[in-house]
Amino acid sequence: MSRIPAGFVRAVLRGHSSLGLAFAALIYLVCLSGSIAVFAHEFRRWESAAAPQVADVTPDAVQTAFEGAIAWGGPGVEHVYITLPSADFPRLLLYVDAAEDRQYVADAKGQIVEGSAFAWTEFITRLHINLHLPQTWGGFLVGLIGVALLSSLISGILAHPRIFRDAFHLRLGGSKRLQEADLHNRLGVWALPFHIIISLTGAFLGLTTIIVGVLGMAMFNGDVNKVYALFIPAPPVDDPRPAPVLDLRPMFAKLPQDGGRIEYVFTEHPTETGGAALFNVKHPDRLAGTDSYAFRRDATIYNEKQAATNNLGEDILASAGTLHFGWFGGGIVKIVYFALGLGLTYLAASGVNIWLARRRDKGHPAPGWERAWAATVWGQPAGIAAAALAALVAGTIVPTIATWLIVSLAFLLAAIRLSAEKLSAVGSVTTGALILLAAATHLALRGGIAAADGMAWIVNAALVAGGLFLILWARRRSVVAAKPAPVAVAA
Amino acid sequence: MMEDSSPLVPALLTVIGVGTGVWMLRQSWGARDTRGRGWVLGGWLLIAASFIRPIWALGTARGAFIALALFSVAALAIVASGYSIKVARAARAARESLAPEPSDRATTKWRETLRWLLAGPIGMIAAMGVGIAYAALVPGEQQTRLVVGGMIVPVAWGACMAWTLADNRILRATAVLVGVAIASFTAAIVKGFA
Repeated sequence: MSRIPAGFVRAVLRGHSSLGLAFAALIYLVCLSGSIAVFAHEFRRWESAAAPQVADVTPDAVQTAFEGAIAWGGPGVEHVYITLPSADFPRLLLYVDAAEDRQYVADAKGQIVEGSAFAWTEFITRLHINLHLPQTWGGFLVGLIGVALLSSLISGILAHPRIFRDAFHLRLGGSKRLQEADLHNRLGVWALPFHIIISLTGAFLGLTTIIVGVLGMAMFNGDVNKVYALFIPAPPVDDPRPAPVLDLRPMFAKLPQDGGRIEYVFTEHPTETGGAALFNVKHPDRLAGTDSYAFRRDATIYNEKQAATNNLGEDILASAGTLHFGWFGGGIVKIVYFALGLGLTYLAASGVNIWLARRRDKGHPAPGWERAWAATVWGQPAGIAAAALAALVAGTIVPTIATWLIVSLAFLLAAIRLSAEKLSAVGSVTTGALILLAAATHLALRGGIAAADGMAWIVNAALVAGGLFLILWARRRSVVAAKPAPVAVAA
Repeated sequence: MMEDSSPLVPALLTVIGVGTGVWMLRQSWGARDTRGRGWVLGGWLLIAASFIRPIWALGTARGAFIALALFSVAALAIVASGYSIKVARAARAARESLAPEPSDRATTKWRETLRWLLAGPIGMIAAMGVGIAYAALVPGEQQTRLVVGGMIVPVAWGACMAWTLADNRILRATAVLVGVAIASFTAAIVKGFA
């Protein structure tokens, strides 16, 4: 017998149910896109499979690429962000913030080359980070979704008086409601550490802008820059007089040779007298192990910060993003994050499934909601798979987003006519077929068999396996559904 | 230039250790008498020990979080391995053994509106007040107070949501949240940030 009063459990369950239903679709979308975005580096390698693989670069090559990107970037260059090659992402990547923002990849000698269309990676990461809404509002909404998820975890645990008694129960095949409840509760309890890390870091990252805004208003007379100044180096003194492109080579020479790996170089106003560059140097086996060195144009250091001297707050802040996306333990942790992320996605879906099954058990089925939910659950993976296809063909973000929207809406419209079961079957087959098509399109348009990067083959193999699984799974479900119900207990 | 240590071997050991530990917990769960206590103690000890190797080999924080992620996977694999198949005719009995139903409280439009306002904007303001008051009032380094205060905001807001959407006494929740917001912001502004 549970010691928790039944009235308390029922009240908390009511809140859990209300919150879950209100946010289910958004939590589902953010968790699904987040699970896929774990592999952002691999997808960028997949998209640029034909581009040269760069294991290491010299400062001279970086300088050549830097000057080349500024020349290609056109007028009004404000910033250039340089990502140096790593084991995770063997490319020399340059992002130019100018009148029109552009990205370039360069070879080991620093020559700008073709192969820098990252529309799919941008689509999936932006879908997760701000739902393709304006940055401030989208970020806040995703932060709010993180809070709702965190709240659901709290109420879910409080509303689970049989948490120990049912700790290992996984009863499949009987009542749909019992099966869904067992899957929902076992996933929710045993993956709780992961769920807390993801929702807390996600909410924190999403709400940072508004928290800093309120903090600035309440404590710093409205000056939010005073808050940021505690964490990031002061910007260089502005001097807009034209000047030659910043020379990064003497800055490279001044970096300490202490075993760190240069990850990024952020340059500011690189063609102005007030130009500056910030180098991030990552140390191994640390979540928050990035040193930073800020240089003026004349290669004198005006700010430096070693990660070894971080206080707790700086360590937490520097770890939050890495922990959230699972980018701290190589391929193993990424696969684990993907699997647990899909589990969290299923948690959002099964919560609504339980509510729908409960209504059906009580004799108040909601077929309209069942259809709408099936259209949401299957419209999103289908839309995302279609977006991958569009990104490969078009190479730009706008048609990619448009394709995702059109497919999502098509599924919702189909819910007017099709049953939930039919929508699930169609959704599974459509998603599988679109994923297979994306792999085929990649082979045809992005390097094919001659792709320089072996990661492209791994991603394509995973896509083919995933696509076939979804198609065969839908087929198996249709076969099982056509069979009469079992009459005996199976072990 | 050094890269992160490969987590392959420590991860494998962690999965084996945690998997065995959770299997021992399942033995205790199945025993349902005092013989289970040894399994519980042994299981949790083994799970705790499984965190040592990655923390030592992969970095303290990095290793701990790698082990934490692997813990869930290994535990879920053990749970999944013990699944049972039910038949449709058992459905009724199964329904009867489910957790309690959500409460079916009587409500009005304004109460529901107020409830969602409490869970949403009012809860957010109260949670921000608590986070900012922490940053202003608690001793420690500035960055740590700000970041911990910032982390408190989603936790406190989430707790507010869970509470206000569950509590039948909506006016009590309103009074508490408004009181917390006023008190925390006032205390933070009076003290200031230094």
